[in-house]
Amino acid sequence: MAMSQNIISPVAGAAEPTPYGLLAEFPDPQALLRAAAAIRQAGYRRWDCYSPFPIHGLDRAMRLKRSVLPWFVFGGAFTGCFAALAVAWFCNAYAYPLIFSGKPYWGLPANIPVAFPLTILFGAVTTFLALWALAGLPRLHHPLFFSARFRRATTDGFFVTIEATDPCYDLAATTQLLRRLGAQAVEVVKDC
Amino acid sequence: MTTAITAPFAPTDLDNTGDELLREPVLVTGPATYQAVTDQVCRVTEAPRAPRAWYVAMAISLALLLLFGVLITYAIFTGVGVWGNNSPSFWGFPIINFVFWVGIAHAGTFISAILLLFRQKWRTGINRFAEATTVFAVVCAGIFPAIHVGRPWLAYWLLPYPNIMGDWPNFFSPLLWDACAVGTYATVSILFWYTGMVPDLATLRDRATGRIKPAVYGLLSLGWRGSARQWHLYERANIILAVLATALVLGVSSTVSTDMAVSQIPAWHETIFPPYFTAGAIYSGFAIVLALAIPARELFGLKDLITKRHLDNLAKLALLLGSMVLYIYLIEFVIAWYSGDPYERFAYLNYEFGPYWWLGWGILFCNGVVAQAFWFKFARQTWWIAWPIAVLCVMGMWMERFVIIIVSMHRSFLPSSWHMFVPTWIDIGTLAGSFGLFFTLFLLFCRYCPMVAVSEVKAILPQAQTRDALANGRH
Repeated sequence: MAMSQNIISPVAGAAEPTPYGLLAEFPDPQALLRAAAAIRQAGYRRWDCYSPFPIHGLDRAMRLKRSVLPWFVFGGAFTGCFAALAVAWFCNAYAYPLIFSGKPYWGLPANIPVAFPLTILFGAVTTFLALWALAGLPRLHHPLFFSARFRRATTDGFFVTIEATDPCYDLAATTQLLRRLGAQAVEVVKDC
Repeated sequence: MTTAITAPFAPTDLDNTGDELLREPVLVTGPATYQAVTDQVCRVTEAPRAPRAWYVAMAISLALLLLFGVLITYAIFTGVGVWGNNSPSFWGFPIINFVFWVGIAHAGTFISAILLLFRQKWRTGINRFAEATTVFAVVCAGIFPAIHVGRPWLAYWLLPYPNIMGDWPNFFSPLLWDACAVGTYATVSILFWYTGMVPDLATLRDRATGRIKPAVYGLLSLGWRGSARQWHLYERANIILAVLATALVLGVSSTVSTDMAVSQIPAWHETIFPPYFTAGAIYSGFAIVLALAIPARELFGLKDLITKRHLDNLAKLALLLGSMVLYIYLIEFVIAWYSGDPYERFAYLNYEFGPYWWLGWGILFCNGVVAQAFWFKFARQTWWIAWPIAVLCVMGMWMERFVIIIVSMHRSFLPSSWHMFVPTWIDIGTLAGSFGLFFTLFLLFCRYCPMVAVSEVKAILPQAQTRDALANGRH
């Protein structure tokens, strides 16, 4: 996020701080979807939509790239499976081979009951960690939380933000665009 | 029940169980606005005082939890001889309770994972709630093997770790499989549950007043903002976790069943055991979710979110799983007869006509017969019929675990090693105490966590559907 670039000197009397960007509220998911498509076509880059629940079609309207998350999960799950089989082989077949009930030292089927849960365990833990890492969470604060209006984003508010660092950002023109797209309210969000 | 919470809000409790052709069933009766859905769930945690019944239930649960703690401490300090475990019934109550609680856990994962993959929209009303029962049941389950080892401070020996004792893990041992399966199940169900709860914790954070609540919910919700990029990742992660959890639903009780199936004991050494345990597990889980949903929707005024249709569907699923369990009971008798093995035949005769005959018939009655009442709409939709049936199913499944673990073992091959198993009062108290632990955790969850998945319920409201979703047949 743009926070690091926009830290304002705390010296008293400093210039008006650079805002985080514009926050616009839309009445419903359908309006948000239309606005998202228009904002993307207008050439904005640093912007996002906010809703209390996932809106289907929004990722396509915003042209969001498919997340790389599944690849992390595959890596994690593969590591878990391989690690389980490797440890089982090392212990029971290589370093300290013992005969259990007359069976061979090494057999893949007999080791699946350990490899299977470990595949899932590693896959799930990777999913969990990669989800939050890719989502940029956890974080203790975000400029949007300065906005009282934005608190409704988790109840019934549908929002678009356009960041001030966006190359196309212009306070007057962007506000006008958002209004034209049907925003009920547009406000400037401060950064700190 | 007039309570502090339900008083200002009268749920409509409409009957939405009918099916109309070409029309989606109404899953949220009453005011179906985003705000109303949020309010209904959040006011349970935001009310300054819980309903009086909550305090009563909490007091009973805490008393049982205290009993649980005291009895476990006593058993640890005195030794496992305080239980009824003997030779040949080495496993006794702790392992019965372990298998029982693991089974109870299964419905939550089934509802939130398998029904998610099958795009069953009605799951959104009860999935959070059911997942909570999963997590708490796994907590109860995990305690029993740990105390059953007799020296719980050495319970970590179950895990394969490098040590200087010359102690090598045996990867062919079902006990190690169990530790892996249950450990994984506990971890994954907690991750799945918590991940699902983050957006709703953010809702609570944004509504919270005062000093402590915004901070606590703020930390727990990880700074969730509900941006499209976050939702995109979140939905993918949820589907992936659901796929992984689905594999676990089918895998965990299967692994637990190998504790028995891999041995030589008559009536244990059977290939039907993995599906048998899994069907019974999911069945008991549905029964407990039903038994908890009926009072909880009443007590917390959630009748418009956990509607009659949800209860109806839960009862239908309990009927399906109960019928599978009945089928397996019957097929086991056939297999025992058809095998021609005298020990196998004896084991099944001993189930029904041995000294524990009342348990053998009890499980046929509770799991096989009683659940069949759910064929009738009247039984599914009348709480004073559905609730006792659900409780009988849970009891029946506990008795089934008793029959499998004790009755098979107490008379195996050699009559010289036959011995009756009689539980001590400490066994019974510890079982009761584990319910105390479960209900304490569950009541705390009801009071302080979003009990219904608010964001998921909103996503299935009619006004949340976009044309894009309709055009692509995606919901």
